[in-house]
Amino acid sequence: MSEAQSTQQLILDTAGRIFNDHCNKPLLDRAEQGHLAETLWGQIAENGFNLLGTADSGTSAQDMFAFIQLCGNHAVPLPIAETLLVNRWCGPGDGLFSVGEVADGRIVEVPWGRAVQKVVGVQRNSDTVFVVNAPEVVEQGVNMAGEPRDVVSLPDTAEQLTVADAWAQMAVARSNQIAGSLLKLLDLGILYSSERIQFGRAISKFQAIQHSLAIVAAEAAAAKRAADAAVDALDGDRFVFEVAAGKARVGEAAGLVAEQIHQVHGAMGFTHEHQLHHYSRRAWAWRDEYGNEFYWQALLGSHLANLGADQVWSFIATRG
Amino acid sequence: MLQFDRISLAEQTESLRAEVREFLKDNDQHFPLPISDFTTGHDPEFSRKVGDKGWIGMCWPQQYGGSERSFFERYVVTEELVSAGAPVSAHWIADRQSGPLLLRFGTEQQKQTYLPQIARGEAYFSIGMSEPDSGSDLASVRTTAVKEGDQYRINGTKIWTTDAHRNHYIICLVRTEPPSENRHAGLSQIIVDLKNDGAQAKPIKNIAGNEEFNEVVFEDVMVPADRIVGEPGNGWTQVTSELAYERSGPERFLSAYRVFVELVRACGESPAPHEAAAIGRIAAHFMTLRRMSISVAGMLENDKDAVVEAALVKELGNNFEKEVVEVARLAAPMAARSPRFRDTFEQTLLLSPSFTLRGGTREILRGVIARGLGLR
Repeated sequence: MSEAQSTQQLILDTAGRIFNDHCNKPLLDRAEQGHLAETLWGQIAENGFNLLGTADSGTSAQDMFAFIQLCGNHAVPLPIAETLLVNRWCGPGDGLFSVGEVADGRIVEVPWGRAVQKVVGVQRNSDTVFVVNAPEVVEQGVNMAGEPRDVVSLPDTAEQLTVADAWAQMAVARSNQIAGSLLKLLDLGILYSSERIQFGRAISKFQAIQHSLAIVAAEAAAAKRAADAAVDALDGDRFVFEVAAGKARVGEAAGLVAEQIHQVHGAMGFTHEHQLHHYSRRAWAWRDEYGNEFYWQALLGSHLANLGADQVWSFIATRG
Repeated sequence: MLQFDRISLAEQTESLRAEVREFLKDNDQHFPLPISDFTTGHDPEFSRKVGDKGWIGMCWPQQYGGSERSFFERYVVTEELVSAGAPVSAHWIADRQSGPLLLRFGTEQQKQTYLPQIARGEAYFSIGMSEPDSGSDLASVRTTAVKEGDQYRINGTKIWTTDAHRNHYIICLVRTEPPSENRHAGLSQIIVDLKNDGAQAKPIKNIAGNEEFNEVVFEDVMVPADRIVGEPGNGWTQVTSELAYERSGPERFLSAYRVFVELVRACGESPAPHEAAAIGRIAAHFMTLRRMSISVAGMLENDKDAVVEAALVKELGNNFEKEVVEVARLAAPMAARSPRFRDTFEQTLLLSPSFTLRGGTREILRGVIARGLGLR
């Protein structure tokens, strides 16, 4: 293992222990009722995980996105991906921050807009981003996973910065969060099917269930590989197309995996009491944020059509 | 197990890739209608040319005719050949499977005899696994090889044997001991010379109208005892390791690649949104599968056990390559379909049922994955 790999493993091991201990069903339920997980945030900040990937942190963008993937895996109910990207764009800061999309003179779909010190507004078709300190929340809302998605005002005085592909970078964050959640869904399916007894044996012993979980494993593995590939393309000249391939592939896997894993869990997984929905609903919600499959497929497809049929292979057959 | 390492191909693979593309351009008279299915196009002349370039047995030691290149360099060559739709079927099995099997388990004499011929693109191999009553349940094979002095007497029937009517050799999985409680015991692999030993290969026409696979009948076929690959009784271990090599290569997701190319052509430079999305969706899958497949090449390069990862690539890849054909059908505007679109599409669709059968059915692979997940 290289030094960079062992640094990353250390980060993931440490963070994984914290999340295993503290990011559980009761915490996720409380977060859904609107309570910010302050203790968990404190532990993240204490370990410097909110500064991963920033200059002088001794860590890379790869480390940052690997951590975001882990947060998705544990459904960490904080705008941690947003905080990390704001720190990447604006320089390291101490607080909890968020990111939303600029629309009609406001910033919409802002995770935990109500609880953060700074919001950055990004745009799909522009590299100009708007930095709003001490944001004013004009509307509170939630996505289908019960995660706060607020609207904050965008004052004329907001500082403007140029950040290349900020919106697409958010899509990479979501891709990684989804990849993490799909691996969790697979684990939950394996666990439940091994414990649930019907016809005198664990349902995991039935071929029908084994095949469902095999499909899920394949999709989850593909999602992870696709999300990682988008990260590796960061700052390169085909970044946006790798984001497209990644988010499109991951989004497709999300629907399939959530469907199969719910089926494996039967009625039990359909209850609010079971933890499954905290992960499945996030996967469902995140696949639509920052471009759904159709959006990214069409963007990638238009580019390839423009290159022409005989150039497509050269585009696909990259070194990395 | 679900960790597919992020691998970048070394920069020097680019010049090799360019060389392969140049070669394909110079030899495109060998494939007027490019089809990416690796069992299509049995062309000894083309295979000899590939051999001349040193692109068969690329990873084998030089003493056996190989060129001692990396699994990644081999990957580049194979994906260029398959994506271009070149006629690789004559040498494909020998290069991918039989050669590596002999290299790993064969006797010194077998390596010296067969590997250099394979590497030159002159010796072609078939796989003698399935039988009329043994498909997915491979351990139930009934073909026997009974030792008589310094020979084996072979009796039985192999089936679905690709190209047995035109290849030179077949490596058969046979019972050298009667069945016992351990059904994996007593199996061996033995090389039969299809041209000279008296085995009868009868082609079976497939739904595409092609005669590619065969029934091969062995009636008192006598072969020298030194044709046993490796140790007698080690057959089961050998075939299972052979299958790991078979399952993860680019040919496991590129079979319908030429249909995709014709789809892009049919949609033109400025496709409608749904056409663009169809193209983008397929491309996103290709890009991801390719990276997973390269990760497995990396595991093989480092002698890691890749059985489950290879099964994951094949499971995803085979289902996807069937879907490519369907997506192309739905997305390509009728009026823009060239004769080449139609021929490529129809041939590939007719071949597509085999994608999830050959090299282990979808059902068997899901079982392999489930075992990897600890479910069985």
